Amino acid sequence: MSELMFDAVSVRYGGRRGLTAVDQVSLTVPAGQVVGLVGESGSGKSTLARAAVGLAPVSAGRVLLGGADVRGLPRRRPLQLVFQDPYSSLDPRMSIGESITEAMPRGAHRGSAGRRAEVARLLELVNLDPDRAATLPGHLSGGQRQRVALARALAGRPDVLIADEITSALDVSVQGAVLNLVRSLQRRLNLSMLFISHNLAVVRYLSDQIAVMYLGRIVEVGPAEQVLTDPQHRYTRELLAAAPSAHSSLFDGDLGDLADTEPADPHHPPSGCRYHPRCPIGPLVHVDRTVCVSEDPAEGAARRRHRAACHFTASDLAPTAIPRGGSAS
Amino acid sequence: MTAAVASAGIRDNPWLSFAGRRLGRFVVSLWVLASTAFLMIQLVPGDPVRAALGMTAPVELVNARRQALGLDDPLWVQYGHYLRGLFTGDFGTSMSSGLPVAQVIGDRLPGTLKLAVLAFAVVVVVAVPVGVVFAVLTRGGRRRGVELGFTSTTVLLAAVPEFLVAVGLVALFAVALGWFPVAGRGDASAFVLPVAALAIGPAAVLSRVVRVEMLSVLGNDFIRTARAKRLPARLVYVRHALPNALTATLTLGGLMLTGMVAGTVLVENVFAWPGLGSTIVQSILQKDYPLVQGIVLVYGVGVLLVNLVIDVLLALLDPRSTIRES
Amino acid sequence: MATGVGRRGSKWLAAARTPLGACSIVLLTLVVALAVLAPILWQDRAFAVDTDAIGQGPSGTHLLGTDSLGRDILFRVLVATRLSVTLAVLATVIGVTVGLVLGALPSVLPRAAGRLVISVVTIAVAFPGLLLALFFAVIFGVGTHGAVLAIAFAMAPSFARLAQTLAASVVGRDFVSAAKVAGVGRIRLLVRHVLPNIGEPLVVNATIGAGAALLAFAGLSFLGIGVQAPDFDWGRLLNEGLDGIYLNPAAALAPGVAVVLAGLAFNLVGEAVAGVVGVRTRSARIGRRSVPAAGTAAAEEHGDDALLVVENLQVAFPRPSGWTVPVRGVSFTVRAGEAVGVVGESGSGKSLTGLAVSRLVETPGVVTADRLEFAGTPLLTTPERELRGLLGTSLAMVFQDPMTSFNPTRRIGRQLAEVSEQHQGLPRRKAFERAVGRLRSVRIPAAERRARQYPHEFSGGMRQRAMIGMGLMGEPRLIIADEPTTALDVTVQRQLLRLLARTRTEGDTAILLISHDIAVVSQTCDRMLVMYAGRVVEDLLTGDLAAGPRHPYTRALLAATLELDTDRAEPLTVIPGRPPEPDRVPAGCAFAARCPAATDQCLVEDPVLESVTAAHRVACWHPQEDAAPERAREAVTAGGAE
Ligand code: SF4
Ligand code: SF4
Repeated sequence: MSELMFDAVSVRYGGRRGLTAVDQVSLTVPAGQVVGLVGESGSGKSTLARAAVGLAPVSAGRVLLGGADVRGLPRRRPLQLVFQDPYSSLDPRMSIGESITEAMPRGAHRGSAGRRAEVARLLELVNLDPDRAATLPGHLSGGQRQRVALARALAGRPDVLIADEITSALDVSVQGAVLNLVRSLQRRLNLSMLFISHNLAVVRYLSDQIAVMYLGRIVEVGPAEQVLTDPQHRYTRELLAAAPSAHSSLFDGDLGDLADTEPADPHHPPSGCRYHPRCPIGPLVHVDRTVCVSEDPAEGAARRRHRAACHFTASDLAPTAIPRGGSAS
Repeated sequence: MTAAVASAGIRDNPWLSFAGRRLGRFVVSLWVLASTAFLMIQLVPGDPVRAALGMTAPVELVNARRQALGLDDPLWVQYGHYLRGLFTGDFGTSMSSGLPVAQVIGDRLPGTLKLAVLAFAVVVVVAVPVGVVFAVLTRGGRRRGVELGFTSTTVLLAAVPEFLVAVGLVALFAVALGWFPVAGRGDASAFVLPVAALAIGPAAVLSRVVRVEMLSVLGNDFIRTARAKRLPARLVYVRHALPNALTATLTLGGLMLTGMVAGTVLVENVFAWPGLGSTIVQSILQKDYPLVQGIVLVYGVGVLLVNLVIDVLLALLDPRSTIRES
Repeated sequence: MATGVGRRGSKWLAAARTPLGACSIVLLTLVVALAVLAPILWQDRAFAVDTDAIGQGPSGTHLLGTDSLGRDILFRVLVATRLSVTLAVLATVIGVTVGLVLGALPSVLPRAAGRLVISVVTIAVAFPGLLLALFFAVIFGVGTHGAVLAIAFAMAPSFARLAQTLAASVVGRDFVSAAKVAGVGRIRLLVRHVLPNIGEPLVVNATIGAGAALLAFAGLSFLGIGVQAPDFDWGRLLNEGLDGIYLNPAAALAPGVAVVLAGLAFNLVGEAVAGVVGVRTRSARIGRRSVPAAGTAAAEEHGDDALLVVENLQVAFPRPSGWTVPVRGVSFTVRAGEAVGVVGESGSGKSLTGLAVSRLVETPGVVTADRLEFAGTPLLTTPERELRGLLGTSLAMVFQDPMTSFNPTRRIGRQLAEVSEQHQGLPRRKAFERAVGRLRSVRIPAAERRARQYPHEFSGGMRQRAMIGMGLMGEPRLIIADEPTTALDVTVQRQLLRLLARTRTEGDTAILLISHDIAVVSQTCDRMLVMYAGRVVEDLLTGDLAAGPRHPYTRALLAATLELDTDRAEPLTVIPGRPPEPDRVPAGCAFAARCPAATDQCLVEDPVLESVTAAHRVACWHPQEDAAPERAREAVTAGGAE
């Protein structure tokens, strides 16, 4: 089992007028642990995942798998990715068995009988009928396809699995089943896992650690329950407060005028702290906090609790814990 | 310093930068076209002069002509001559008539242009309303019979190439009915058959495209929004659907206009129309390469110009296009 | 291509079974048969010179007359089939091959060379085929060989472009990325994933290309550049016939007809296959059979303040197999100023219900209801024209996808102003001012400037605000919001829901909020309707949600919803199985197959939505009584089979 480590990874697209989708991100997925990555759309979380598997260009920094740079690894790496959309991630013209077989390491299974047995084993592992190996993906539901996608990822015998929004295309009733499956697989196979979602509740359910991403940067990372009960970065607090819940009011924690600001344009990231145009405790509210505009809080973040990229973290101020979300893990 | 400022200005104004990019592409295409036309002559197997003058021509004459045409110079010298010639409007001399190519083209181009422009106007005027009307009539699977009739008629019309339409029209209206002249270029009535021959096929194609585009636009979410505003149907179609259908229509319209330029070649030959098309065919058969080269250049520039205009129009029509380009 | 792909041959067979397909295949068979047989049978007669019958019109001996040497036109046309078709096919094969090579080159060559090929192709594609063919004819020389090569080379660029575009669209899809991540090599990627997925469109286009080549060849021969005497193809015959058109029009027309028919044969085969292979859906061709009658639902008590009354609403769509009914007898009431949520999973019919009550379902969909009234006006019987003013000002809609719900070619302000111009008779300028005011009221910063911007300059959240603002142009009494926040981030979602809530209190506007998220609905609404398989299965106050819903589905849905305090030690609750397809709803309760409380009665009798208390209706034979929802958990390893 090996750990996955992002070492100051940046991903830049385009030339002069390009866009830095991921900016100097450092993050470690320890062996056998699940790290949840949350953030809004456009925060760069999916790009980070794609960079790890070589689908996005790493323009600076390194991605290390078990200490070795992934660029130096052979083509079939022990690092697999499950995609968001189960409808486009399977070739419509290949039976699910063929798709899974294709992902198996070369020479791992002798002969076609061996490969067939492995396909059956993998399908069983994801709770699908092994007899359906010859089915085309068109005949499966979204949830079933996502299981096939999981089986294909597992066929590559990964040490590390990255799941990119794997439940966001699914209905609630199916989502639970897929999450249960992911968790049991992770535990049984002792996988290291980077679990990406925009949904905090989903991430919280699976993760040992949680990292929060905003506009291409990680703004807070720490043990899951701690991040949720004692968030250091103001953005994390906003995410927590905004998560819809059947037993909280829409108007809990009113934000005042800043509630209606627009998300920043990734082509022109704000100076200093990238969150400052939206931050309710930032320079727009407290005029004396000019440091948020002028200085990048990423510097010195390592010293702060949860490596929070904020000049005025919650623990610097009066510690206020969020009352809910604190059940045992 | 000033250059830097200027380029910064261009970068900031999407319109200027779009115009700059598009114009650059046009110039490069022109150069490629000119070079290809130059290469064409070089690629002709054997000696073009010998081919043009015939096997019986005396060697001295051939050599003299070669000398005059500069064919004995090294390739890059010829290329330089050729490009310089183009800049000064010197396209060489026709081997068959001895007239300057530029003059021949000048004589023949207006005939072709009139034909193409008229036919294009007819196509647009006919096809857009027809396409819109049939889209509205058959939207959401209504009136299957009308749809079937429309599709089969247009498919059939579009499948007949313009020179066959021309032959059919001649047989019917000129030979059988005697309403219009068969050939040549007399009064306005002489235009009717050639223009019709050129326009019928493209009009069928374009009306089909307009209909399909309209139908696909009508399936868009914003049409539902317009209906939710309870706008009268006329406004929904004309104000919301049509402008969005036009972008794709225009793209195809451009292709079709260039296709029509090519169509004139055949139609002119059917009607013995004194234009570029009949001239290029004669000159190919007579192996009058300088003339062929000149006419190929003219057609090519025409095509490139049409594309340029279409791109600019598209950019004007669609507020997102400049952003998409970058 | 989300739908299933059957056995590969079956689609081609299906193509042959359509009228278009059958017709085209007959035509093509005829052409091929003639190409093979005609020269064998009639070679001599096509060449027989008859000096007594020169340039004659049609007669008994020469059905289509004779040419200038007295040869029979009909036989010449028939015999010419072979040469015409062979040359066209030959040119197509060469052209497609060259095109594919050109198309594949950029991915094999070094970058710079690849880009050069691409730009040459781009320029060449702009040129019409005939001009290219003429150009190549100059290089390759006049004659049959030259013409074949000329037409082939003229076809190549557009094929190269087609292959490139198709391949690019396949390569952009996730399954190719997935294969790359799995370590699949480039060659295998191309052979197993890219080629099979672009093969069919390529074949279709090659077939159509053959038709085009046939016509082009006829054109070249007609110009005298193609086939040279004494050989002849249709173009050559046409050329000869045109000279004598006054003597014998048939001599010019016959080869023309032959060209068109043969060209059509290729074209139609291509089109027929494209129609089956492609995404072009042919909707059902079934007669106006009567729509299945909906069952009766218990009539509800409507107070005086009922704004929207829906009784036994049904929406049906024709399918080849009969009617499919995604909304099956829905009844509910929305009172003035009330916020009602509609919850359900995909396919439950919730969005369609919203469209149906706002009269936005278009043919071929059929909407019926025992009663459908908005502000006292019956919506199904009042003519559209009379409804327009009422609905235009009093009923506002907010749709799911803010990215596609605005017209991309019109400025936001104008799209709002339109409403007032149309329904309130405001002049252009006044209407625009009102639009700016409305944008301001939905808290869009710098509303004046933003009103002059196009939709693509707005973020998703801002567009959705503008959409609400558009609804506020009139004096809406009801806003129907269909998944208004699904495409947005949570922080933006909360802003929007707050905006909706505020709008509601300020204008005493009722809200019908359609959402898959039970949490969103319970935060925003007073009451919620839970939909399953086209029915409302429960209608309860959101305040009662904690106390315990009565319907097993509502309970399951609630239990399956992840919250920030879900117990991490336990596996998640799942609902086994999946909802029935709308055209295969079982008799009895639609939820029976997944319901832990199902009995035999449930399998045969469909439960009716009935009141259990004044503000609580349930459609279930065995409504659950206990306060705390029972959590039916499954073993982790089972994970919930579907
Ligand atoms: S650094 Fe300033 S602006 Fe950024 S999150 Fe902290 S307080 Fe807010
Ligand atoms: S009617 Fe029967 S099957 Fe349906 S929900 Fe109630 S108990 Fe379950």
